[in-house]
Amino acid sequence: MIQIRNLSMRLSSGGREVPILDGISLEVPAKQFLAIVGPSGSGKSTLLGLMAGLDTPTSGSILLDDVELTALSEDDLARLRRQKIGYVFQSFHLIPTMTALENVSVPLELAGDPEAEVKATRVLRAVGLEPRAHHYPVQLSGGEQQRVAVARAFANQPALLLADEPTGNLDSATGQQVIDLLIRLNRDQGSTLVLVTHDPALASHADRVVTLCDGRIVSDESQVGGPRVQP
Amino acid sequence: MNSFPFRMAWRETRAAWRHFAYFFVCIMLGVAALVGVGLFGASLDRAIQREARSLMAADVELRTSRPLTPEGEAILKSFEAQGIARMQVSELVAMAAVPSEGESDRRRGTQLVELKAVEPGYPFYGKLRAEPADALGKVLGGGPDSFALVQEALLIRLDLAVGDTLKIGQAEFTIAGVLRKEPDRAAGAFSLGPRVLISRKGLDATALIQPGSRVTNRHLLKVPDTMDARAIQDALAQTFPDKTVRVSTYQESQPMLRRFLRQMTMYLGLVGLITLMVGGIGVASSVRAFLKEKLETIAVLKAVGAESGTILRVYLVQTMLLGLLGSLAGAALGAGLQVALPPLMAQWLPVELEFHLALPPLALGLAMGLLTTALFALWPLLEVRRLKPNLVFRRDVSEEPAGSPGRAAWLISGMLALALAGLALLQAGSWRSAGLFIGALVLALGLLQGTAWLVVRLVRRLPRWRSLAWRQGSANLYRPGNPTKSILVSVGVGVMVILAIHLIERNLLWEIGETLPADAPSFFFIDIQPDQHDAFARLLRERGYADTRLTPLVRSRLWSLNGEPIRPEAYEEREHGWYFTREYVLTFQKDLPRGNVVTKGQWWDRSVPARGPLISVEEEAARRLGLDIGSMVEFDIQGAKVSGRVASVRKVDWGNLSTNFYFIFEPGALEGAPMTYVATTQVAAAEEVPLQRAVVAAFPNVSAINIRDVLDSVARVVDRISLVIRFMAGLSILGGAFVLAGALAATRFRRIYEAMILKAVGATRGAVAGTFAVEYALLGAAAGIIGSALATLLAWGVLRWILDVKWHFPPESIAWGIGATILGTLTVGFLSTVSILGQKPLPVLRRE
Repeated sequence: MIQIRNLSMRLSSGGREVPILDGISLEVPAKQFLAIVGPSGSGKSTLLGLMAGLDTPTSGSILLDDVELTALSEDDLARLRRQKIGYVFQSFHLIPTMTALENVSVPLELAGDPEAEVKATRVLRAVGLEPRAHHYPVQLSGGEQQRVAVARAFANQPALLLADEPTGNLDSATGQQVIDLLIRLNRDQGSTLVLVTHDPALASHADRVVTLCDGRIVSDESQVGGPRVQP
Repeated sequence: MNSFPFRMAWRETRAAWRHFAYFFVCIMLGVAALVGVGLFGASLDRAIQREARSLMAADVELRTSRPLTPEGEAILKSFEAQGIARMQVSELVAMAAVPSEGESDRRRGTQLVELKAVEPGYPFYGKLRAEPADALGKVLGGGPDSFALVQEALLIRLDLAVGDTLKIGQAEFTIAGVLRKEPDRAAGAFSLGPRVLISRKGLDATALIQPGSRVTNRHLLKVPDTMDARAIQDALAQTFPDKTVRVSTYQESQPMLRRFLRQMTMYLGLVGLITLMVGGIGVASSVRAFLKEKLETIAVLKAVGAESGTILRVYLVQTMLLGLLGSLAGAALGAGLQVALPPLMAQWLPVELEFHLALPPLALGLAMGLLTTALFALWPLLEVRRLKPNLVFRRDVSEEPAGSPGRAAWLISGMLALALAGLALLQAGSWRSAGLFIGALVLALGLLQGTAWLVVRLVRRLPRWRSLAWRQGSANLYRPGNPTKSILVSVGVGVMVILAIHLIERNLLWEIGETLPADAPSFFFIDIQPDQHDAFARLLRERGYADTRLTPLVRSRLWSLNGEPIRPEAYEEREHGWYFTREYVLTFQKDLPRGNVVTKGQWWDRSVPARGPLISVEEEAARRLGLDIGSMVEFDIQGAKVSGRVASVRKVDWGNLSTNFYFIFEPGALEGAPMTYVATTQVAAAEEVPLQRAVVAAFPNVSAINIRDVLDSVARVVDRISLVIRFMAGLSILGGAFVLAGALAATRFRRIYEAMILKAVGATRGAVAGTFAVEYALLGAAAGIIGSALATLLAWGVLRWILDVKWHFPPESIAWGIGATILGTLTVGFLSTVSILGQKPLPVLRRE
């Protein structure tokens, strides 16, 4: 599904080039649940963002279903995202002027789906928030906001789901709910899931755990037995 | 005083220059408009003072439409003995013709001209410019040939060149050169035709001056330095108590032009004031946006022990320093406007303007800039005092601080507003116009504010749009903290001003040109002498103009009303006083003229025996003069007094452009009075030239006035005036654009953030731009609609109450106004936000 070759990302900060990612090569087969772990500043969120084409790497290549992301224009990347990628941010990033339902509808509407609202309602029901459909983000709790964000990510039934520390801003009980939701929806839809986290307990659910440190992959382990879902 | 506020103010400004750039520009534009107009007015005054003598071409002028009485001649003679030089200048309209060179001659042949006859020595003061330079010498030279100086327009219209011959009345003139500038005439003022300048001897040869001819004689006097022009004026005024003679000194030269320029400057100043108010709105929204970003800094300052007063001082110092800098820059820009304004007004300027920095307009502009800054920044600044640090740290600060700003805020802003109103009064020049202006401005701002509030409420209440762009775009309008109202008010004001000017102009032009009934005459022939009456009527009849009417005209002034003599000086300053002092053209007629309706009394009802002749008077004149049925009116007709009794009051449709009269006598009443005839007729366009030629050939003294030319000429003047005012109004539109750009800049971070979320979930740049486009278009539409509505109201009021012109609503102008506003907001909006679209989502979203 994803083939990353020799990916590097440098940012200039105060006139100096700071390496964020340094020669990353990684292959993620379809339907795999991959957890990327590592200390903060290790470059894991940047790597995830680059997989979604949310930024352009300094060098290297990212193939998504054999399409070279670095060769696509801004708008082609946007179209690709709405067709194939769902993204969950650590700090939710819901649009404050839209209700929960509208936030979930956005990717469907952008894709020109005539049944956007019906489908969005269905996804919202799946995350258990149908009763809150017409509330604005400020009227929702953090956990509820993140569940709306998860619903938004799943709305288009994307083949690839990317989640960047989805529980980082939530207390542990709420975080657990969101994680269960992610894993359940991912399994129901049979999609590929890449999860960035620094929580080993969370990573233990994954098929495979890749550890980053200072922009390099320091370990890549497959976990026997597959994901274990909490009851 | 502690220097902390100053140091802190500098740090803060440096850090937030983006907000303050808009703040600065807003104040700068407003002050520039005011200072520009003020300096222009001041240098105009200076130039007119300096060249007052050239504007009259003399020290003292005696102006009359009649020959001098023997006593008048005598006193002027006695002046000559005292060393006072004198000359006579006559001005009249006449027909100039190209002497025919056979039927095949393609040249147009005849042209109405403004003829001016001067004597050697003209002008006493000032310079007449002609090409070649010695042409005036030829005109005034004593040789056997007659020469004329003409304006270039005449050469173009008649297809003539210097050296060709021109026939005026009974005389022929060789064109000696092109007249470029006369000291005592503003070139661009309204005129019936191009100027032709000849000598007095030449005028005598034309034989144009006949009894009843419309001619203005100006007796120019040059007083030696040792004598006082004012004393000469007094002496003359005693010799001519008669109001048919006007004596004035150079200090009162060109009264109409001066009044026109003064009013023009005043209107421009008021438009400048509006620009400053728009700038004030920009200041308020910049300060508000800046403080919003500063909430955390303010909370920290408070937390480390700064008192509200200290913090307030920091931002007050900062605001006022910026206001001062903006005002100074505005003053400099205003001085620069001196380059732009005079060329726009050049047509009316008989004088050369010098670049001169007069102090009062500069000081006034600076003061108004600072006051406006203080007034508009005060309220947002005072909110600092009510901010609770804890709320900021807990991030749940509500958008609007609770509670009222307190009595002090009201008191201070009241005082600032009063001071500003006082300065506006200084700008407007009179209590009445200042009061009207301030009232109208406050009303307009109030209406705009109220409507803006309504629009925001309305958009919020609307059912949610199905389309993403529409939903997001419209939601942006009513989200808390969005400066929608400031934008609507400031852009709306600009739209209101510029559209109101346009609507007024449209209606004036419409009144002038388009209301002409189909049967309105297209030609007036004036100055037909009584002995030419029959021959003239015959000529027109033979050429197929059976509908021609010859109407007798008798020129007169009011002498007494109900036995009370008219004293002109009593009416000089009075509004509508000219009803008492103007010249009235009388006529006598058996039948009620077309388009006239008797509203009171009877038309020539002789069944009731009455003493003296009967008069019918126009409704408005009757009201102004206090006349009613039975009132006695006495006229002075070139020395002879004729009185009559009002028998009827008429309503006149002045728009039909026929010969209409305030006073009509019954037939026979004016027999023996010096009179001329005027003929009106409808002429097909193709017939105009041959008819004009035939008339000039047979009756050289008769002038043919083409109504269309006159209307075109009036329309040109209206157009020029509106161009100048529109130029100034353009500055207020520019101010509105900066307020808009500033407001968008203030919400930039939020826009970037949301645009990046949209991109992250799959929106193309076009889709993001679509949400912005909807927002800007909705803003533009709302501002355009509000502005147009107010412009319509304003224009209607001005036309109805001030210009007394019938209102006609042009829907296409309104549509254009709204369309242009939408286009403008879209353009400004995109220029301020286009750079957002290309940004990468990840860096923005990770920063959050």
